[in-house]
Amino acid sequence: MNFDFTQQEQKLFKDINDAMLEMAGERTLEEKDPGNAGKTVREALIRLEKTSYLKLGTVQDKDIPGLCAMMGAMEIVSSFSQSLYLSVEMSTRLFGRIISTFGNKEQKNKWLSPVLGGKKLGAVALSEKSMNIDNDPMATTGVRENAVIKISGTKNYVINGLTADFTAVAGTIESKPAIFIVEKEATGLIPGKPLVTMGYDGLSVSGLTLDECRIKECDVIGPFEDNSAFNTLKMWENQILVGGSLGMMKASFESAKTYAKTHRTGGKPIIAYQEVAFKLAEMLTLLQTSQLFAYRVAWAAEAKNRESEVLTCCAKVFCTEAAERVSGSALQILSGEGYLSGNAAERAYRCAKYGQIAGTSTEIARVKIGNAALGA
Amino acid sequence: MDFDFTKEQLMFKQELIRFAKKEIVPRVQEHDLKGEFDFESFKKLGEFGILGLHFPEELGGGGADVVTTVLAGEALGEAGVDGGLTLAYGAHTFLCADTIFRHGTEAQKQKFIPKLASGKSIGCMGLTEPNAGSDVASMTTTAEKKGDRYLLNGNKMFITNGPIADVAVVYAKTQPELQHAGISAFIVEKGTKGFSAGPPLIKMGVRTSHTSELIFQNCEIPAENLLGKEGDGFLMAMQTVEWDRSALLAPFVGSATYLLKKCAQYAKGRVQFGRPIGQFQAIKHKLADIRIFGEAARSLVYRIAWCKDQGRPLNHLEAAIAKLYVGDWSMSPTFDAVLIHGGYGYCHEYDVERIFRDSRLAPIGGGTSDIQKMIISKLM
Repeated sequence: MNFDFTQQEQKLFKDINDAMLEMAGERTLEEKDPGNAGKTVREALIRLEKTSYLKLGTVQDKDIPGLCAMMGAMEIVSSFSQSLYLSVEMSTRLFGRIISTFGNKEQKNKWLSPVLGGKKLGAVALSEKSMNIDNDPMATTGVRENAVIKISGTKNYVINGLTADFTAVAGTIESKPAIFIVEKEATGLIPGKPLVTMGYDGLSVSGLTLDECRIKECDVIGPFEDNSAFNTLKMWENQILVGGSLGMMKASFESAKTYAKTHRTGGKPIIAYQEVAFKLAEMLTLLQTSQLFAYRVAWAAEAKNRESEVLTCCAKVFCTEAAERVSGSALQILSGEGYLSGNAAERAYRCAKYGQIAGTSTEIARVKIGNAALGA
Repeated sequence: MDFDFTKEQLMFKQELIRFAKKEIVPRVQEHDLKGEFDFESFKKLGEFGILGLHFPEELGGGGADVVTTVLAGEALGEAGVDGGLTLAYGAHTFLCADTIFRHGTEAQKQKFIPKLASGKSIGCMGLTEPNAGSDVASMTTTAEKKGDRYLLNGNKMFITNGPIADVAVVYAKTQPELQHAGISAFIVEKGTKGFSAGPPLIKMGVRTSHTSELIFQNCEIPAENLLGKEGDGFLMAMQTVEWDRSALLAPFVGSATYLLKKCAQYAKGRVQFGRPIGQFQAIKHKLADIRIFGEAARSLVYRIAWCKDQGRPLNHLEAAIAKLYVGDWSMSPTFDAVLIHGGYGYCHEYDVERIFRDSRLAPIGGGTSDIQKMIISKLM
């Protein structure tokens, strides 16, 4: 047992924090930049590449910290900007891990190196009509035609959909699950309009239509014998949402705490009122409990614990719900100031909901956890 | 970071669960219904080595580290041992015996620890008073030095093991004008003239632990029964918090695992509308919430234990967070467990009813949740 981060891991946290601080400066990192085609995220990738952030969880090397540190690092980036965080994560931790785990040597050379080098942006297209992929079979299909694969289908809610250089499209080929890597200029890849979302103001989200989109045979990962690869993908997505929730909570809590210590009413700082102080205490309790929970499930995943998937579901439900509660409490403490657009708590409150519906939704996660308890 | 237990720790946990299921759990229901302390189970805990697990072997202990000691608490909860017995064990080992072990003279340790570690003696701690709970400084019990003796006067309240204890660690003011700094700790033995215990209080839960008032009326004890130095009492009481936020919370973590197993078992067997109720999503969601609580609580408790093993001073913020989370959030799983069992859950025959009552103490005992919030907000 050991509850400490190593010196190497702590140095990584400091480097990431410094890189994000330098990048943020006085500007907001949450503004939409449709005209700049992901300029902000590309800048972040270049800055983060100088640390080992992009390689966490993707590159197995003794000099790269493990998954517990990955969670700690995710919290830092997410606390600066949830949009930037999700965009970077979809590129590195999801797209990157698909290639590093399931791809062959050529595929790794072609896509993984530029993505982990911060030079290219990746996306993953999983969702179709509905956001979850647990209940309905995947409708996107690839058909083999000589050495070419023609992909047809419609994907929805694709993060980095409009800005990515490469997109990993989940579907089937010959009735088996597979992942198609589609490059931006591919014939038949038709990006949809940017989706306007409740939170994540600076994030590019869109649908994608694949109209007999043509890729080479060597650009297919799989086919797989069963859905276990997609389940792994879901677990990675859940890890991303857990890490993101930590950052949201941290940003909201810090914002509310600072305000409570400096804003005075009735002749004293509002933290002197138990109603405010106790709310902050509950918020910090949820934040610290979530942090330890996140680190523990990351450790379980790294140790290949047989309960890792269900434990990740547990942490995902807990942390994403805690994020909504903590940011909601922060809004209450911040009062009118918190209700203004752009406040850390207001932003986190709008983003928090996404964590509960994306990945394995809260409801489906609870069913899975319940099934595990029942031995079903 | 590493959240794993050693192979030896896990084997010990399984062994303890097996032992508790066989030797203790079968008598839990009967004792809870009668509101009786289970002397036999307590003695068996002593024989197994639980009561003195972390004390050195030369004093009759097991020489275990803190994490293993906390694991024992989790194992008892997971086996289905009731909150009354685990509370009695906690008060005995950590609030009484450990204070003597940490602050006592060699003679005091030799005299009391082996008997406490084996369960031949039962211990308690007298800190709370009728009008002084978390506000320790307002205690009114006094200890006046008269030559080579101290004269104790005052009343203590809500004392776990009070009516059955052979040895009590009692806090009293030797210099009332100094507030916290005027509090000292004493060892008081059963049968000492002027020392008596009130009748057991009838409580909502943890009924197998006996709780009472302790009364000191011109109670004379030898000066050698002073623990440490005069004025050190408050710090000694605060040091018990390390155990209170780890070993005494661990049974609640174990209890969540026990509840989950019980509820899953019931949900698989109970058929309504033509299918086991476990097939309904609403039941699965409740099972999930029970599991989530236990998993979330676990790391908070073991963080305190692990830091203590490293020899670090207690982080009061982390300790209060552990207590607040386990205290406040542990209620919901017990509520869900009763609901899953429906009408049966409301009846004593199904032990989710007892666990529901026992758990109500978690946000109260050892410093209420509101006190924890005060501590957290002051330290943040």
